[in-house]
Amino acid sequence: MRRADPPRFILRFLKWFCRPDYHIHIEGDLLEIYDRRVEDLGRSQANLRLYKDVILLCRPGILRSARFDQPLTINGMFKSYFVIGWRSLWKSKLYSTLNVLGLTFGMTCFLLIGIYVYDELNFDTHHKDGDRIYRVITNEKNPNNEATTVAAAGYMLAEEATQALPEVEMTARMQRSGRGNLIDPENPVHVQETITIADENFLQLFDFPVLEGDKRTALAEPNTIVITEDLAVRIFARKDVINKNVQFEHMETPLKITAVLKNHPQNSSFSFTSVMSIATLLNDENFKRDAQSDWASTSFTVYTLLRPDANPDSVSRKITRLVHGNATLEPGTMLSHSMQPLKDIHLKSAGIADGARNSNVDNIPQGNPVYITVFSFTAIFVLLIAGINYTNLTTARASSRLKEIGVRKAIGAVRGNLVKQFLIESLITTVIAFFISVLIVALLLPVFNDFVDKKFELFTSVGFVFWAAAVALIIAIGLLSGGYAAILLSRFNPVSLLKGLKVKSGGDFSVRKALVVLQFTISTIMIIGTIVLFMQVRFLNDSELGFDKNLMVVIDVNVAKARSNFEWVKNEMSKVSAVKHVSATSRVPGEWKSIPRIKLKTEGSTRELQMAYTIAADKDFLGTYEIELLKGRNFQNDSDTMSVIINEAAAKMLGITDVSNEVMIPQVARNQFFTPIYDDANTSFNPRVVGIVKDFHFQSLRAKIEPLILTYHSNPIFPIDYYSVKIYPQNIQPTLDKLKAIMLLNDEREPFEYHFLDDQLALFYIEDQRSQTILGWVAIASVVIACLGLFGLATYSAEQRLKEIGMRKVLGANLLSIIALLSKDFVKLVLIACCIAFPVAWLGATLWLQEYAYHINIEWWVFPLAGIIATGIALLTVSYQAIKAAVVNPVKILRSE
Amino acid sequence: MKGIQLGEFEEIVLLTVGVLHGTAYGVAIKDEIEQRLHREVAIGALQVTLRRLESKGFLKSKQGDTNETRRGRPKLFFEVTAYGKKALEYSKESRDELWKALPKLVLKLK
Repeated sequence: MRRADPPRFILRFLKWFCRPDYHIHIEGDLLEIYDRRVEDLGRSQANLRLYKDVILLCRPGILRSARFDQPLTINGMFKSYFVIGWRSLWKSKLYSTLNVLGLTFGMTCFLLIGIYVYDELNFDTHHKDGDRIYRVITNEKNPNNEATTVAAAGYMLAEEATQALPEVEMTARMQRSGRGNLIDPENPVHVQETITIADENFLQLFDFPVLEGDKRTALAEPNTIVITEDLAVRIFARKDVINKNVQFEHMETPLKITAVLKNHPQNSSFSFTSVMSIATLLNDENFKRDAQSDWASTSFTVYTLLRPDANPDSVSRKITRLVHGNATLEPGTMLSHSMQPLKDIHLKSAGIADGARNSNVDNIPQGNPVYITVFSFTAIFVLLIAGINYTNLTTARASSRLKEIGVRKAIGAVRGNLVKQFLIESLITTVIAFFISVLIVALLLPVFNDFVDKKFELFTSVGFVFWAAAVALIIAIGLLSGGYAAILLSRFNPVSLLKGLKVKSGGDFSVRKALVVLQFTISTIMIIGTIVLFMQVRFLNDSELGFDKNLMVVIDVNVAKARSNFEWVKNEMSKVSAVKHVSATSRVPGEWKSIPRIKLKTEGSTRELQMAYTIAADKDFLGTYEIELLKGRNFQNDSDTMSVIINEAAAKMLGITDVSNEVMIPQVARNQFFTPIYDDANTSFNPRVVGIVKDFHFQSLRAKIEPLILTYHSNPIFPIDYYSVKIYPQNIQPTLDKLKAIMLLNDEREPFEYHFLDDQLALFYIEDQRSQTILGWVAIASVVIACLGLFGLATYSAEQRLKEIGMRKVLGANLLSIIALLSKDFVKLVLIACCIAFPVAWLGATLWLQEYAYHINIEWWVFPLAGIIATGIALLTVSYQAIKAAVVNPVKILRSE
Repeated sequence: MKGIQLGEFEEIVLLTVGVLHGTAYGVAIKDEIEQRLHREVAIGALQVTLRRLESKGFLKSKQGDTNETRRGRPKLFFEVTAYGKKALEYSKESRDELWKALPKLVLKLK
């Protein structure tokens, strides 16, 4: 009869916990009883009792003690590796410190940049179905072949897409229709808020965390609004404001708060503080009628949630077909739609205008993918440099450990053991460096946050994934940098090692040289990059803009009376003694909101309409901004409503050389699209050119100076929107208070929103400024790391050549020649590195500068300067060791042999 | 004489090993106690006691041959040492002394 076998796992369990010297006999007893029980009671009973017996055996006296008392297995060698690794690190403190320091520098840079890049790459990832959400993009080409790409679409498209296309699960519309004072009617505080309107799907499609309220119904009813906790606190000074009423000052009905949202995380493209339901507007018959025929406008940002298996390309083709089937397009217009994934909005929206917003609403802030790429590379390069350091120092010091390796091999270590030993040594170093750098990152984070204008926290801002990846990468660096040394050192023949023969390792030395060259190439490129970036940013901030930006207070017109009553306001303001000039304009030079464009041509010209920007201004504009008038005259009085002043670029475009030409302006684009100025499309605004001004940079220096038409402040195109007040530098705060008092006197609801123009202009280049600083620090770090490595190598080579130096000195060599002897090799390497770095850096810098319409030329001296810096630092590092070696008394060195 | 005092279960095990003279190994001891004294013996308790007695020097062990009934696991035979006998004797004497001292009256009062 076949014997019934007891379950194996329980015996294995017994073997695991039982003292090995007891195990076999106890198992024997158990099996004997088991067999007997199988016969008497049957198998299952026997099994049960066996379990019971084994479990009862878990008692002191039978349980084995913990594993390290067990005889050493192969794995037991690891303990020895750790001990030895630790000892050898401890023994050569200088090199270990250099190694750890280098790695720490590298990792700190890597982690900081890593956190920043990770955040930028993970924008808008907190929505559950984020990978299925797409933004509808409209590509339109008008009959004149002018193409526009804008992130917006029509009302009905969103309405019908869900029904017409099975792939579309849900759509949501959003519109930023302007700015207004949102107030608590019982206790009004005047602060301007962006007015955001969305339909009821909006909160369902996205996962904006709700503090209070039901997100499914919050935006369904008319006259409802959802606000964020920040805004709730600002208006009511508390967060539990559900069912309370707020009101936009320009609207008649109060809005009921139906939900309170959490504040947006910093890596969100959404920045709205309140969302009003579209149903509120649908009460208005006009709006309703317009909306229901709106297929091809760009009034709404439309987000779609596709079904999991849907193909966005085919959906966009179907949507295009749907729109063509319903919209009536002007003949010759080409219209198509495409779908942009939600996660691409932050970094991949270049060339896509941010639509569905009033021109006084700020753009969605965009990330710059170029900088992200540059940063990622620099972060990895710095880590690489640090890794190379380790490899270099370890291999360089190989010969001092040859005896140890020989002995190990002689007593039976196989190559694998030695490789493991060296890898563990490098892991110990890496891990120490990693912990130190995490500590440093924690300390630096507040400063770093200030500087990049984010709110990172060490562990909460970047997910587990980031840290897992960082740890994995850093372990990989540890293994890689230890790996080369390990393989090299374990290769030698033990007999020759123990005989004390010098191991010739020419090949190894050339690898080491190549690595030093690589390190300094990267460092030099970074030095050049930093210099170029620094010069460009300085150029941008200092360059002659063609107008005076300093001490210019720009006050927004936010209430109707500030516009209608502007003569009085201006008059009052100019009475303030600290005010030099006051001007009222529709936009200001260096404008941060979008500047309206117009289409025009000279009267009687047969040419096509051409495009220009337009700013409405009063007669004080030129004086306030100190813009130079080249020809003709300034605006004088209200008889100038039919006059315009143009800039040189516009004059050139229109072919006007002298004043008094009349121009035809039939169309204006306040947002992305041109529409007729007057209701009757055939009439146009026909003002006369009265003056030509010198070109000035009314936009960022990234753009060329475009044609600009200055219209008189009362014109059919655009009303005034700002006061520009040029003030004296003394007592700025009291001056501001006085200005505020005047604005409040004019209208008590005035929120008094102001900016200093030079600060606003600097915002154009803030990214560049930041990158310059980050790159600067990284460059410094990379040079420091490379120098640490060089210092280690130089120390080592000086030690190796002590005898030679002694001999040379005895034979009459002088100090200088010995320093030269020791430094020569390293300086040569750095020079080679420079030769490689120069063309690469030149190419990179040139490519980057082309992004700017106005940029510096890369001066030739940048390259020698960077070369001198790199060589100089290398020389300093090396010569310290060289001098130390050179001044040693030769008797001391040579006596021992 | 603290070193040779025996616990109750220790005494039983030690005696049983003596009873089985030469054939005392785990299962046999367990069976013997269970038969004679009608009490359950857990393998764990028995093993711990055997080892303890061995480490105190009351028992010595010897590995037997491998046996097919135990699937190749050898038996470990135990034998009472001279010191063990001394401990048993001490234990018996101390009981006897107590018995003798016991007033007759107490026993009759059953």
